[in-house]
Amino acid sequence: MSSTRTRVLEDSQGSRAAFEDIQIGQSIGEMEWQITDDLIDLQCQLDQDFDPVFFPQGDGSRIAPPQITYRPPRWLFSRAYNVRGLFVRWESETFRAIEPNTTIKVTGSIVGKFIKKNREFVVYESEGKDDGGNLIFRTRRTHVLDFVERSAPREGVGIDSGIKPEKI
Amino acid sequence: MSGSEFNSKDHVMSVINHSVVVGHELPTVSRKYRLEDFKRGSEKTIHTDYEAAAKEGLPAPVAIGPQVAALTFRQMRLCFGMGWMVGGRHDLMFRKPVFVTDFCVARGVVTKTGREGNKLRVHCDVWIENQKKDKVIVGTASALIPVPDAGV
Repeated sequence: MSSTRTRVLEDSQGSRAAFEDIQIGQSIGEMEWQITDDLIDLQCQLDQDFDPVFFPQGDGSRIAPPQITYRPPRWLFSRAYNVRGLFVRWESETFRAIEPNTTIKVTGSIVGKFIKKNREFVVYESEGKDDGGNLIFRTRRTHVLDFVERSAPREGVGIDSGIKPEKI
Repeated sequence: MSGSEFNSKDHVMSVINHSVVVGHELPTVSRKYRLEDFKRGSEKTIHTDYEAAAKEGLPAPVAIGPQVAALTFRQMRLCFGMGWMVGGRHDLMFRKPVFVTDFCVARGVVTKTGREGNKLRVHCDVWIENQKKDKVIVGTASALIPVPDAGV
């Protein structure tokens, strides 16, 4: 199957966000997200990492892999803008162990956008805090709006969307 | 020790300690991916469906970036244990698409160390190669390790 040299105009979730629509400084909202044992199990399954720190023996307490925090900021970004594109840069720091039954309040905002190599990029930042207000993680993400160059016209309907079910 | 006294977080294995030197190569972590690794139900996405990928200009379905980057995270967890999971930092660039049946290897090397409070932060260059030896993900990662004479 040959790939296309147009950029997708819309998908089942509506029109794709245009570079011009993305507002630097705009909040991408907030969400509360509970870390459960099932989520930790699933993250470890996806990553094929079954270390005892994630699956302790006996009554030992467990923690989640830090990368379990990937999706909530992406969900917030998708709530704000319908961007499929590709993830191109991931900066992150973890400040506390992520334990089961922790509820994390995730917030974020758009912090930049730029054009490079004839493609359009957007940068957003996000952080997560526990119920006590303690910082759990902070991340900065860069996303290219389309794999195809920005000089290509927008037309047609995509099959995939940046807006996904909010589950791991 | 009874089970109730055991806290797994206090007993996390790590293969690198405070005596690590610049130039030390991290142990590799590798994985052969399959399209099935990226499926979520029956959803057609650029990660699972050729037509969906082609619509976006991609020649084939591409791997979910964080699932590939997870090789680096596993490498850092193996090397630094809790010092990765609390205090770990990374800055990764996804330079080229990883296709869903690629074989990938995470590699890394220690580039710098420096005291940070009563711990040592170990900085590494990290990258992930595909089966063609293309560096598909490149960046840096760092983690903390205890320093015995600092009372930790």
